[in-house]
Amino acid sequence: MAASVTRPALSSLCKINSNINGIYSLTSFSRRISISSVLSTSAVTTETEAAGRGVRGQRRSKRQAGEPRTERMTVDQDWTAVYPTAASFKPSAVPLPVRMGYPVKRGVPPAKKGNLELIKIPNFLHLTPVAIKKHCEALKQFCTEWPSALDSDEKCVKHFPIQVQSKEFVSAGLSLRNPDVRIVTLKVKLSSLNLDDHARKKMIKLSEERYCKDTDTLTITTDSCPLRQQNYDYAMYLLTVLYHESWKTEAWEQEKTRADMEEYEWEDSPSQKKVLDTLLRMRALGAKDEVEEGTREELLGQPAVQEYRDTMLRLKNEGETEENLQQYKEAVKKLFNI
Amino acid sequence: MASSCSQALRHHVCKSSRILRVHLQKAWPNRSFVLNPAADQQPAVSSPEEIVIPKKKTWSKEAVLQALASTVNRDPTASDYRFQDDPYLTPKTSSEFKLFSLSQESGRNAAKYFISTYPKYFQKDYAQPHIPCLMPETLEAQLEEVSEAALIERIQMRKVKAAVDLYDQLQQAGTPVSLDVTNQLLDLICFYGDCDPAQENVPEQRNEETVGQENKLSHNKRSPCLVFSFRENNNAERVFALLSEPNTHSYSALIRGMVKYGAYSKAFSTYTDLLNNQLKADVSTFNALITAAPEVKEKYNEKWELIVDLLKQMAEQKVKPNLLTLNAVLKALRRCGTVGKSQAFPVISEMRALSIDPSLASYNHLLSIFYKPGHKGQTDILQEVMNEVSGKSFTPQDPDDAQFFITAVRICLDTKDIEQAYRVHELLGVGENWRLLGNDFQQNIYHARFFSLLCMMENIDVVLKWYRDLVPSVYYPSSNVMRDLLQALDTDNRLDLIPQIWKDLKQLGHGNRQTLVEELLTLMAREKQNQEVQETFAECALDIKKMYDTGDRGKVMMSWTAGSLSDLVSVLLAAQRRQDAWEILKLFKTHNRVPSEELLDKFLTCIKESGDVNQALELVQISAGFCLPGTPKLIQRVQQEFLLSEQQK
Repeated sequence: MAASVTRPALSSLCKINSNINGIYSLTSFSRRISISSVLSTSAVTTETEAAGRGVRGQRRSKRQAGEPRTERMTVDQDWTAVYPTAASFKPSAVPLPVRMGYPVKRGVPPAKKGNLELIKIPNFLHLTPVAIKKHCEALKQFCTEWPSALDSDEKCVKHFPIQVQSKEFVSAGLSLRNPDVRIVTLKVKLSSLNLDDHARKKMIKLSEERYCKDTDTLTITTDSCPLRQQNYDYAMYLLTVLYHESWKTEAWEQEKTRADMEEYEWEDSPSQKKVLDTLLRMRALGAKDEVEEGTREELLGQPAVQEYRDTMLRLKNEGETEENLQQYKEAVKKLFNI
Repeated sequence: MASSCSQALRHHVCKSSRILRVHLQKAWPNRSFVLNPAADQQPAVSSPEEIVIPKKKTWSKEAVLQALASTVNRDPTASDYRFQDDPYLTPKTSSEFKLFSLSQESGRNAAKYFISTYPKYFQKDYAQPHIPCLMPETLEAQLEEVSEAALIERIQMRKVKAAVDLYDQLQQAGTPVSLDVTNQLLDLICFYGDCDPAQENVPEQRNEETVGQENKLSHNKRSPCLVFSFRENNNAERVFALLSEPNTHSYSALIRGMVKYGAYSKAFSTYTDLLNNQLKADVSTFNALITAAPEVKEKYNEKWELIVDLLKQMAEQKVKPNLLTLNAVLKALRRCGTVGKSQAFPVISEMRALSIDPSLASYNHLLSIFYKPGHKGQTDILQEVMNEVSGKSFTPQDPDDAQFFITAVRICLDTKDIEQAYRVHELLGVGENWRLLGNDFQQNIYHARFFSLLCMMENIDVVLKWYRDLVPSVYYPSSNVMRDLLQALDTDNRLDLIPQIWKDLKQLGHGNRQTLVEELLTLMAREKQNQEVQETFAECALDIKKMYDTGDRGKVMMSWTAGSLSDLVSVLLAAQRRQDAWEILKLFKTHNRVPSEELLDKFLTCIKESGDVNQALELVQISAGFCLPGTPKLIQRVQQEFLLSEQQK
């Protein structure tokens, strides 16, 4: 019975990535399947033989399975010895009455013996809290002490603003190597770098999507070199180059147009011109058409105009919210003495 | 007193101090341009909190894995790690264990054979990093021409006959062969005794000579050439004679070969040749000669004098003795009787003075000198040895190291010393000592002796604790040991555990051993137990009966005896199972056994309780059928105790 259920599953199992559970589970499972299929066929043949031929010579008796190990396990046994490493689910070694799967018709989910569903899924029987404690104790000898001066996150960030991340992979398979190990990610907050306004803007422009505005973090991910050390060096080099380049001012940067600006500037904007114009017209309704330099600054210096300017800046830079629009409305009203 | 069972065979690995090498290296240099870490600050600037970045530790590649492995103990319910962890696929008896492990090995050898015989199909290398032992190995010599390089190649591939043939060809062609290569050839011939080592992967070509020789040494697992005696004109001596100027190495190879293959007197004469040529012998030559010394002399004194003589010559020639010298001397002293006992300790102290520490093999020889089997003596040597040895981890340095544990536990068994046995067992758990227990056969012997000692000396709780720990994950007891266990149960009056032991016995494959089963039945039938225990006994007894019946599968069949049948009936009667007992009673007739009178009496009493008159009459008829002398008494009893109708009278 078990063989017929599991035979179609064998082909799908073969395609399972061996990275998950290692080769061991695959071979043990396939061996079990082959044994069970052999067993069922041999049982069938012996029966037909018995019926057909009768007793002829010595027939070896069918080997009986012993009792499962769970019968002999004590309640206070050392579980880390039963499952020391990641292994597939062994129903004879796990003393729990687990059931899994779609329920049999008007019944319950199938029991654990010969249950493929339990074997397919990854289990963490080897990582019980006791086991993890033991592992941590054993691994403490490889660790050095944390510097006592760094006892808060802020201090860590203050003293070590650059964070470098890389991953290591452990898997059992044909090859120990994993090409993803070479990837290095470097994160730094621009606020901790020594940048003035122009340098900051230039740096952000240069790093395009690597800069995250919300967290003010520049993230550089390098994976073009084959080795991790090389990638790390390359990332540090990129950071250095960005920094230095953003401090330099090139000749062609003078040609920065309004469209290149990162944030909205009130000076020389169409809005300013329009406001000036409107105010002058308001004033000049009664007077002559004279545009003097002095009046311009005077006009601009008025608090209503300043307020208008502020709300305009807020609207453009921060986006349109209820509050901003309200303030804009107030500012306009004040400007035109409505 | 009772050492923790979980540490019995713990694969303990190196402690932390040997894993780590503290390496002088700073942490990742921080190249930010703002706040430098304290490592780069001037020491003159005293900040209230200086950030001290500790030096990075380095370790070997396997150190982390070894550290994690040291957290894992042995699982007492699991069988050996080699086997599949499945109730159907784990071996349950010792013969199964042997069969499975051998079949695994043979599968591996078959695979290796195929890979090496057809290497062109196995060239693609999948593994990263490269695993050299999985690639096909070349079995045939590559170089074909008659040259020294070809000779060296054949020597490295251990092809003795081919190498000798090639050497002869070289000599005939007149090419001079250098002394080093000739020495290597001599080493090869003398080590393998002039015949090719048995190739493990290639099926052996059986010819008549080898078969005859193999029959002589059924117990010896080494190559069939062990019985080979140094023939007159064998290759080693011939090659040696062809050497114009043999040096120390050549003499050493020849002498060691002679000693290995039993030509002891020839070895000594070669040694005198060496002295005549004013050459110095080296340590291994002297070791070989010391090993040969007990063979050439007869009396104890002479043997010892010869050994002392050799040692003096060694001192004269300024050759430093090593551990193997010590072991050779001690091994020779085993054959020297009383002289051995007096000289053993001085030898060890002298060697200690030369900073040669005794290994487990030396202690083994020491124990064998002082504890001859069958010889009753009172010595505390074992205790002193254990004091020396406890807590230390030994590495294999001498082939005889593996005998230590077996000898020690044999001595404990003979002297019935349980304390020392516990210490020996504890020593097994220290460090790498588990490797020195030997192959599966020796492990079996060790555990058998240890367990028998336990059954003899300890009370039943301790015995059961060890039983559950060792059986069947580490040790498959034989029927003798199981009988010892039954006796221990009997002594401590724990007969209620018999059905469990019977289950284990069946699993171990001892369920069809007649003596054992009969003893079980006797123990069960001897006394009357309380009701529930009696029930379990009855179940067990019926199970045992099945073992007698199912003899159609080619298993060893057991035959009923009168004793076993009566025991079976009494057990069933005590559990009030009259029907089953009645069936068994009928078996008496079929198997031609005669029941005893007490049995029939008991049966009658039982029948009386139920009051079945017909059965009583049948009983009387049965006893009459057997012509038992007690039949009239039975008849009387029946007449008295039962109400019989006229017809039945």
